[in-house]
Amino acid sequence: MPRRSWRDPKEQTLAAVLLAPAFLLLALIVVYPVGRLIWTSFYELSLSSGLPRRFVGLENFVSLGSDPVFFTALWNTLIIVVVTVPGAMIVGLGLALVANMPFRTKWPVRLALLIPWAMPLAFVGTIAAWFFNSDYGLVNDLLRPITAQGVLWLTSPTLAFAAVCLTIIWKTSSFVALILLAGLQTIPHETLEAADVDGASRLRKFWSVTLPMLRPSIVVAMIFRTITALQTFDIPATMTRGGPGDATTTLAMLIHQTTVDFLDLGYGSALAVVMFLLSMAVSTVYLRQIRSAA
Amino acid sequence: MRTSHLWLAAAVLLPGAAQAETKLTVFISNQQQPQIMRHAFDRFEKENPGTTITIQSGGTTSELQAAYLNTVMSAKDPTLDVFLLDIVRPAQFAAAHWTVPIDGVDMKPYLPAYSEADQVDGKVVALPAFADAMFLYYRKDLLAKYHLPVPTTWAQLDSEAKTIQAGEKNPDLQGLSFQGAAIEGAVCTFLLPYWSQGQQLVTNGHLSWNKDAALKSLNLWTGLVADGVAPRNIAEVTTEDTRKTFQAGRAAFAVEWSYGWALFQGADSAVKDKVGVAVLPALDGGQHASCIGGWQWGISAYSTHAAEATKLVKFMSSPEVSRQIAVEGSLMPVYPGLYRDAAVDKAVPWFADALDVVTSAKARPVTPRYNEVSDTIRTLTNAVLAGAVSAPDAVAQMEARLRRVLR
Repeated sequence: MPRRSWRDPKEQTLAAVLLAPAFLLLALIVVYPVGRLIWTSFYELSLSSGLPRRFVGLENFVSLGSDPVFFTALWNTLIIVVVTVPGAMIVGLGLALVANMPFRTKWPVRLALLIPWAMPLAFVGTIAAWFFNSDYGLVNDLLRPITAQGVLWLTSPTLAFAAVCLTIIWKTSSFVALILLAGLQTIPHETLEAADVDGASRLRKFWSVTLPMLRPSIVVAMIFRTITALQTFDIPATMTRGGPGDATTTLAMLIHQTTVDFLDLGYGSALAVVMFLLSMAVSTVYLRQIRSAA
Repeated sequence: MRTSHLWLAAAVLLPGAAQAETKLTVFISNQQQPQIMRHAFDRFEKENPGTTITIQSGGTTSELQAAYLNTVMSAKDPTLDVFLLDIVRPAQFAAAHWTVPIDGVDMKPYLPAYSEADQVDGKVVALPAFADAMFLYYRKDLLAKYHLPVPTTWAQLDSEAKTIQAGEKNPDLQGLSFQGAAIEGAVCTFLLPYWSQGQQLVTNGHLSWNKDAALKSLNLWTGLVADGVAPRNIAEVTTEDTRKTFQAGRAAFAVEWSYGWALFQGADSAVKDKVGVAVLPALDGGQHASCIGGWQWGISAYSTHAAEATKLVKFMSSPEVSRQIAVEGSLMPVYPGLYRDAAVDKAVPWFADALDVVTSAKARPVTPRYNEVSDTIRTLTNAVLAGAVSAPDAVAQMEARLRRVLR
């Protein structure tokens, strides 16, 4: 056994030294802000009151229970998750399958997949607001042969919500498609050819070979998609500003409004803690799924 | 690097450093005509060598500007030295200690509404830039064509608009355009008929809520939409939409701030020389009421050039600049005397009659938590106009939410 000295450190020490910068960075950009957020959520701290901060314990969280806007925003956020995650998964899978077909020139397909993914969210929201504008929007222009008056997309609570969901699905399904496309390309040809030899139909091949082998990619895409759906902000913020009324206000928008517009940092932090816990819960469930699959 | 290079670099850099120039950054949104303000800044720069002024612009609506300023100020960012504030903001900025108190200013010569809004606990926290109020804009040519008088009540406006719409047979012609989107203007939309019934929203710092008046206010607007006088998509309409619609000749009447005038009279306007301005109509048996607007110059508490910034703000709030921006941009003066000034009268003839409106216009509630008051009123007014919430429900929700903020 070699002698230990400062020249020849133990492997664990070396590992600790090498990992330290990464841990330090994580502590700085994750642990500190999250800790600070939780700490602030126990205080009454409102810049517009001009009063110094005051420890109130769980009072901010108790107030959540009697805040109808919080429940509306929470509900809207959950519906967005329930609608747009499966929506983007289905559309994304379709796009990935198309992109995986043996095209002679691959780049136009890949480019079409990349463009929605590369566009900034706020940009997409603004474009969509123009699309769905009742007066001069493209959607109503296309509908003109059917309804001369046009549909008031963004001023009907249901239609505005649907328009927001459609936009989110359009924007996010290309990201899902990119992940699934990578997954599709790892499926060995031999397996599919073996299925051919066994006389499997196309549907059967997809159902029994492609889909099970794609499962790890699907789970990864689902995790990312669900967490970003929980944090939905940019698209409704630019498209409808949460309206009409509170019909398209999400939890993230309410947090922004409470902290930035109302300058109520204590209550805003409590809202943010709720969102953080939601994201953690979802990640835990998915990670369990991955582990059980492995 | 060779030493000669270092010397060269020093020679280039040093003269700039020696002059010790003061650079002031002023935040003005595009809506507040920065090009007109620039003329005044140029004059200030000439009179104060060594000071340069840069305009930073952004946020087309009052609440977008407020969101931006809130972010900058809560980060204690020193980039901005001076900013233009909507009349509803000085109270909040003062409570947050975001503005520098301005000493040695006599507030008496200003219009009372502004000297009130800009003083918090006896300290001057901002100086008036220009006044504003909401007016009724009407098409002189259309009223003459159908031999109609300028309406003095909303019911009269409703029937006159119907006459014009029926006569013109133009499906694109709206009877009335007002603000129904969930923007700051929608707060005034709600308050105009509420005030017209002699009601106040806040009395002595407490909510003085009248359920019936609130309901009647919302019913007035939904009634105008139901009659086809206001457009179906009114819940999408912002201040700028109203301005563009009227300017394109697509509305007989419009509820709009004074800034519309200069644009309606512009070369590319479809309604040039066809526009009249009047006091907003009242509800039957009620009083005329307008919503007071206007903008204030504030100095950032994080500015590193507070002395120069104070000098600039005092200059921008002087009678000379007030006159200049009235003549060039039809921005209403903050000094009552200027409404009958010869130069102003020549550029904007109707200002002479507007003084009464500006002096009698009502202020939105003054509270540091104004953003919450505003959000409640504009979101629910918008929801009613969109048909998402019934008017009685909205009135109940408004009261519950306002009670939490104003107690």
